[in-house]
Amino acid sequence: MSGKTTLKKGTFIERVIASTPGGERLVHCIQCGTCGGSCPSGADMDHTPRAIINMIRAGEREQVLSSNMLWACVSCYFCTSRCPQEIPITDIIYTCKRFSIAEKAYKETDAVALAQTFTGYVDKYGRSFEFGLATGYHLLNRPLKMMAMGPMGMAMFSRGRMALTPSKIKNIGQLQAIIKKARQIGAQQHAGR
Amino acid sequence: MAEKVGIYVCHCGSNIAGTVDCEEVARWAGQNIRDVAVARDYKFMCSSLGQQLIEDDIKKEGLTRVVVAACSPHLHEKTFRRACQNAGLNPYLCHMTNVREHVSWVNNDKKAGTEKVKSLVSAAAERVKHQQPLEPFFVKVNPATLVIGGGIAGLQATLELADAGYPVYLVEREPSIGGHMAQFDKTFPTLDCSACILTPKMSEVGQHENVTMFTYSELEEVSGSVGSFKVKIRKRARYVDYDKCTGCGICVEKCPRKVVDDDFEAGLGYRKAIYTPFPQAVPRVPVIDTANCTYFQSGKCKVCSKVCPTDAVRYDQQDEIVELEVGNIVLATGWKLFDCKRLPNYGFGRLANVYTNLEFERLCNAAGPTNGKIVLRDGKTEPQRVAIIHCVGSRDSRYNSFCSAVCCMAAMKFGHLVLEKTNAEVYSFYIDMRPNQKDYEEFYQRLLEEGMHFVRGRVAEVTDAARRPEEQGKLIVQYEDTLLGEQKRLPVDMVILMGAMEPQADAKEMGLKCGISCSMAGWFTERHPKLDPVATMTDGVFVAGVCQGPKDIPAAVAQGAAAAARISGMITNGKVMIEPIVASIDEESCSGCRVCNNMCPYNAIEFDETKNVSRVITAMCKGCGTCVAACPCDAISGAHFKNEQIYAEIEGILWDAQPAAAATEGGR
Repeated sequence: MSGKTTLKKGTFIERVIASTPGGERLVHCIQCGTCGGSCPSGADMDHTPRAIINMIRAGEREQVLSSNMLWACVSCYFCTSRCPQEIPITDIIYTCKRFSIAEKAYKETDAVALAQTFTGYVDKYGRSFEFGLATGYHLLNRPLKMMAMGPMGMAMFSRGRMALTPSKIKNIGQLQAIIKKARQIGAQQHAGR
Repeated sequence: MAEKVGIYVCHCGSNIAGTVDCEEVARWAGQNIRDVAVARDYKFMCSSLGQQLIEDDIKKEGLTRVVVAACSPHLHEKTFRRACQNAGLNPYLCHMTNVREHVSWVNNDKKAGTEKVKSLVSAAAERVKHQQPLEPFFVKVNPATLVIGGGIAGLQATLELADAGYPVYLVEREPSIGGHMAQFDKTFPTLDCSACILTPKMSEVGQHENVTMFTYSELEEVSGSVGSFKVKIRKRARYVDYDKCTGCGICVEKCPRKVVDDDFEAGLGYRKAIYTPFPQAVPRVPVIDTANCTYFQSGKCKVCSKVCPTDAVRYDQQDEIVELEVGNIVLATGWKLFDCKRLPNYGFGRLANVYTNLEFERLCNAAGPTNGKIVLRDGKTEPQRVAIIHCVGSRDSRYNSFCSAVCCMAAMKFGHLVLEKTNAEVYSFYIDMRPNQKDYEEFYQRLLEEGMHFVRGRVAEVTDAARRPEEQGKLIVQYEDTLLGEQKRLPVDMVILMGAMEPQADAKEMGLKCGISCSMAGWFTERHPKLDPVATMTDGVFVAGVCQGPKDIPAAVAQGAAAAARISGMITNGKVMIEPIVASIDEESCSGCRVCNNMCPYNAIEFDETKNVSRVITAMCKGCGTCVAACPCDAISGAHFKNEQIYAEIEGILWDAQPAAAATEGGR
C-alpha cells in the first residue's frame, strides 16, 4: 500500500504509470472486473477496461494502443469510482489515448478526430463549443451524415441547449499558459523515455 | 578498573550483511571505541556457535560487558542474556542494539548503513559500561483467568482452563454466550449443524463448577500486571434477579411489546422487550431492553413482573461493578459485520431482496424467522435464481484491504443449502476462490458437482432497472465474466452479499484497557505473527479468535485452546519472572510531595504516611519512567535507564560530532 513501485524504466507499464497521476495504483489490480462490469460502453469495446489493464501489465503495447476501447470510453468515471483498488482507470485510458495519438497507433477511427476537434475548441475558448464541434467534425469526417444530424441540432438550438457562437471563459490566457506548460512537460517526458 | 567490553556484530545471513559492512564495523569498533577488548562479526550470532563465542570470550578474555548488534531485542535479547548468564556474567550487563529493523531493512545505501551501525554500536558500548547487575524477581501467578468474549474461541479457552481445574471468569457483552456461531445454521465443510456442536459447549460452560459467567457485562478497567491483574467488570442491569429466575420464559411469552431483533436475528425477526436472544441461550435469564419496554418508557405495564412465578423481575436494578483478581487475560472479542450499505451499488437496504450473509444465516436456520425456509422478503416466494457476491467490503482498499478468509467457503455452504432446499439456480461471483484448508477444496469440487455456477468477476452493480423483458421485476446483476472478457447481465430473485468481517468498533479501546495494540486494519497484534500467535506484547494478555484476524471456526478454536495451554503452563509453574527494570525512590531525597503518586499509569506508587515518603510497588512497576521525569527532587531513578546510562548512550552515538568528542575527552 506504499504507492512505491519498482518497475523497469522504459517498459510500457512504467511509461503508462509515470504519465498518469496516481498511476502507480495500477500494479494493485486484482483483475476483479468491476470496471468491465460497470462500463456503459462495454458492449462496444473489443477489450474491457480490466483486460486493457492486464494487457498493459503483459506489455501488449500495440494491442492496447490500437484498441477501440480507448475511444469508446465516455469518461463517466464509473470504473474509477467503483474500483476496489482505487486505480484511476479513466485517467489511464486517457494516457493510452495520448500515446495512441502520439504514435499514430490507432486503427481507423474518427473518434480521434472528434477528440482533437474537441480539445482544439477547449484550447481556444476554455470550454466546449458544441455547434462548432458537430459541424466541424462532421464536415471533415462524415459530411453525408451531417444532414441527418440537422433535426437534432435544430431541436437543441430551439430549446436553448446549443449556442451558434462560442463563448470564451474569462482570462483565457491563463488556461492557455497552463495547457502550454502541460504540453511542454508531456513532450519532455515523451522525449525522455 | 576499566570495563572490558565485547562487541559482536551479527550478519543475520544477508539480512544485515547485505546492506551493512559488518566486518568493517567490528574492525572499527575494536580500534576506536575505548575499553573494547574483543570485537567480532559473525554470520549468525543467535546460533549456538554464535552464543558460544560470547561465552568463551567472557571466560577467556574476562569480558565484563557485552554488546550484540543484531536484530530487535524483542527477538533475541533473552538469548544473549542467557549466554552471558551461562558464562557467569550478570545478564543485565549485556546490551542489544537493533541494526536490522533500524538499519539494514530500511536502507539500501551500504556506506551510510555501515556508518549508522558504527554510531549505534558506539552508543551501545558507552551505555553498557554504565549498566549495573540486576536480579530479576518473581511474582506468584494467580490461577484464575479472565476470558473476554463468549464466542467459540472464548468458550474453548474457558473450557480448557476450567477442565484443567483452574477458575475462569467469562465476560460476555450480549445476554447469552455463543457469539456469532450461535446464529449460523450449518458449518462448512462438513455441514454439521452449528447449534448441535456449539450448544453442548455452551451448557458445559454454563454448568462448570470452575466457571463464573458474567453475561450482559463489559470489561471496565484493568490494572496490575501478569500474574496479578485487578479487573473491574460492569454487570449491566438485566432487571431480572439472576438467582431467583428459573428461566421458565413466561415473562417473554406474555410481554406485549414486540420489536425487530437487529442483533441475533440480524433484523429479519422479532423479539420481545424482555427476552433471551435464542431458545438455547446460556444463561436462560432474560434481560429487559429498556429502550423498548413499555414500563420503562411510560411507567405502565409490568406484565412480566405480574406473571413471574418467582418474583424475579427487578425494575430498580442498577449496573453493578465487580472487582476480580486474575493472573492472566484472554481477549476473544470477535468481529462485527461490514455495513453493506456502504457499497450503494449493491443496493442493500434499498432493494428488498438483497441480503447480507448474516441475514441469510438466519434465513436458512431452522430456528430462524422463516423456520429455515429460503424465501424472499415477502415471506412466501421461493427464489428461482440466487446470486452470491463475494468480497463485499473486503479486498477493497477503500474499506478493508484484507481477505475475510471465510466467505468463499461460507458462500459455497449457502450455495449448497439453496440447492438442497429449493429448485433455484445459484451463481457465485468471486474474484479468487480460496478454499485453502483441510477438506475445503473437496467441498468446492462437491459444489461444482452439485451444479452451483461459479463466475469469476466482482459484480459491478445490482439494480432493479430492467432493460429487457426477462429482467422485469427481477434484480439484475451486472458484471464482467472476466474469464470470457464479456460484460453480462443476469436477472435473479435474491442476492446475498458476503459482507466482510470487521474488527469490533471498540477494539482499539479494549486493547488500550489491556495494554495491547491493534494493527492498521484494527485486529489485535500478536507477539509474533508466526511463532507466538496468541501471546501479545503485554505479558499475561493473550488473544484468540477473529479479534486477532479473520479466521474460521477450526482456527478460532485452535487459538482458544492455544491461549489456554499457554496460561495453564504459567499457572502450573506458579510464578512468573518480572524484569528488574523498575523505578526506585531514594527515601532520603523524597520530599513527600506525592506528585508521582497520581502520575503513575500503573498505580504502582504508594505513599508511606508515617515516613512521609512515596514508595514504588515493584511488582506493579513497568519501568516506564514517568515518575522519574516528574520528580521535582530527582529522588526517583529507573533501573537500567539511569541518567548516566542515557547520557553515555547519547555521547556514544555522537562519537563523530566535534564538540561532544571534545567534551568526552576533557571530562567525565
